[in-house]
Amino acid sequence: MQELVGRITALDPEVSETLKVITYFDALVGAGAGIDALLRAAATLSGVTAGIVHHDRVQRRDPSGRRVDGDPVIQAPTRGIPGGRVWLERGDTHIVGDEMVVERLALAVTLTLARHEPDAAVEIVVDADRPLVDRVAALARLRMDGSRRVRAVALPLDDDAPGSVPLTAAAGIVRVLLDDGTRAAPARGGVGPWVSADRLPESWDAATTALRLTDSAHPMVDAGELGALLLVAKAFDPAAPPEDVTVLAGLPRRSREILDALVNTESLRAASAALGMHHSTVQARHGALTQELGYDPRSSLGRARYLTAELLLRLSER
Amino acid sequence: MATTLARPPFDPELEAVLAVLADMLPPAITPEMIPMLRQGLPGAVPIEDVLAEAGVERVDHTIPGHGGDLIDVSVLRKIGHAGPGPGIFHTHGGGMIIGDRFTGIGGVLAWVVEHDAVAVTVEYRLAPEFPDPYPVEDCYAALVWTADHAEELGIDPERLIIAGASAGGGLAAGTALLARDRRGPALVGQVLIYPMLDDRDATVSTAQVDGVGVWDRTSNVTGWSALLGDRRGTDDVSIYAAPARATDLSGLPPAFIDCGSVEVFRDEDVAYATSLWHAGVQAELHVWPGGFHGFDQMAPQSAIAQAMIAARDAWVARLLAR
Repeated sequence: MQELVGRITALDPEVSETLKVITYFDALVGAGAGIDALLRAAATLSGVTAGIVHHDRVQRRDPSGRRVDGDPVIQAPTRGIPGGRVWLERGDTHIVGDEMVVERLALAVTLTLARHEPDAAVEIVVDADRPLVDRVAALARLRMDGSRRVRAVALPLDDDAPGSVPLTAAAGIVRVLLDDGTRAAPARGGVGPWVSADRLPESWDAATTALRLTDSAHPMVDAGELGALLLVAKAFDPAAPPEDVTVLAGLPRRSREILDALVNTESLRAASAALGMHHSTVQARHGALTQELGYDPRSSLGRARYLTAELLLRLSER
Repeated sequence: MATTLARPPFDPELEAVLAVLADMLPPAITPEMIPMLRQGLPGAVPIEDVLAEAGVERVDHTIPGHGGDLIDVSVLRKIGHAGPGPGIFHTHGGGMIIGDRFTGIGGVLAWVVEHDAVAVTVEYRLAPEFPDPYPVEDCYAALVWTADHAEELGIDPERLIIAGASAGGGLAAGTALLARDRRGPALVGQVLIYPMLDDRDATVSTAQVDGVGVWDRTSNVTGWSALLGDRRGTDDVSIYAAPARATDLSGLPPAFIDCGSVEVFRDEDVAYATSLWHAGVQAELHVWPGGFHGFDQMAPQSAIAQAMIAARDAWVARLLAR
């Protein structure tokens, strides 16, 4: 591991290395690894001993994964967790990667502890792997009836909305918020469809897909408005995009703007006006783009193909 | 293409390592990747530094290999070694196609230090340039050289073991069979670390580990095809090249065998241990749950790797103690 991944201390704070830290911790949490494994991960990635104190119990692991006994002299950098703290034993020397490691360690530990809390009710009610009886019991703890109309909202991890809880979803760690009609719409997020509370996992599943479809142009996506397109988005594998998506991805920005206008206006004339271009120019570009795409984006089938490809492209550009 | 055949899940810590390594280490190794893989891994620690840190000195010798051609061996012993001590003959891993005599040497160095042992590690020639029987015959020639020079090397000939991982485990098993059949050097133990034993690609575990993990089915076919060419999977393969084909394992030294439950070699390794027991040979077998091939080297910090290494070290310690 050390040899292959390279110690973070030896590396520039490149995006790829940051992603490796996130990927590693996310995979550990997703696979249900324990606190012990999380400490070993932090120690291995940083090259120094990592520790936790939780309800007065101290655990420490060195970079080779072994247990370290006794009380630590150095606890820096450090982060708070519910009921305690985690840290790296680096000391005064500031290493760029440390902050990211200790940050993700704290988050992963918080999630793992929450999973074992008896009252992790929100996590349980949206979890499709839990039997119905567990979910109904958890709903009761939230003072919710199984037939209550409610929807799940998926928020980005950095959105610390009151009542939201961090949770591992298919696409990484996000936040979940339950909306019984009293919540204000989020500034950025994915909103699941309204369901009876005992079917919340369906709403949550749709909400996480909707969150993945958000971008700066579409900060809030309501899964309920996507209808059958949601199924297409869920089936999409960014590692193996269909040709319609790769062709679209390869077009220059201006072509994409022209396509957007061609598809979303009633006539070529209206598209020309929206783009501020001459009618004959837009007509020529329409012909050329039809060639490039392999379909006419203004035909009814072409519109469907374009809009679907554009939606999927958002998933792959995240 | 990944298979949909059910397989045991990876251990959570190991799965996380695989997630990180996904873009650096593809599960499937194909013949055209061999030259790139032979260039070594970026960031690998130089062998001189590894030896210095362990307090181990190295003396190289050039000796006759298969057919009398010259090959290299390195003798590794603790600085200030007071002989004679136990001997460890090491055959390195790398799918028969890559690696050198210091590949995976870390575990051997730990025994050298712990037991004041002397290790001899052999630079056998690699396939496909040197197909079967070059690799295993080079190993056997170096084992004979080691036994013949035991006294000057500081090795107690009564306490000589053979050890290897992966392809090196297969070569260790094959070399032990050669030593038995040619009445060659006496070995007191064979440490077969997730050994590569079977060229036939017909087990359930090879079907389960296809496009996932480390050293998957495609990689394994690449390795065996390099070693055996068109003979792979036919009746024209010796028990020394593919020890899984041996029907009589009697008269072999006690064996230690370990592997992961999610690796191609699982079924052939379990079968080899079973065959040893059937033949009346002592064997210790560990199948570590959720382990991919070589996980102890790739994720040494994981709980399961530490348990694997501890079990292996304990067996060697019991064998070499006196």
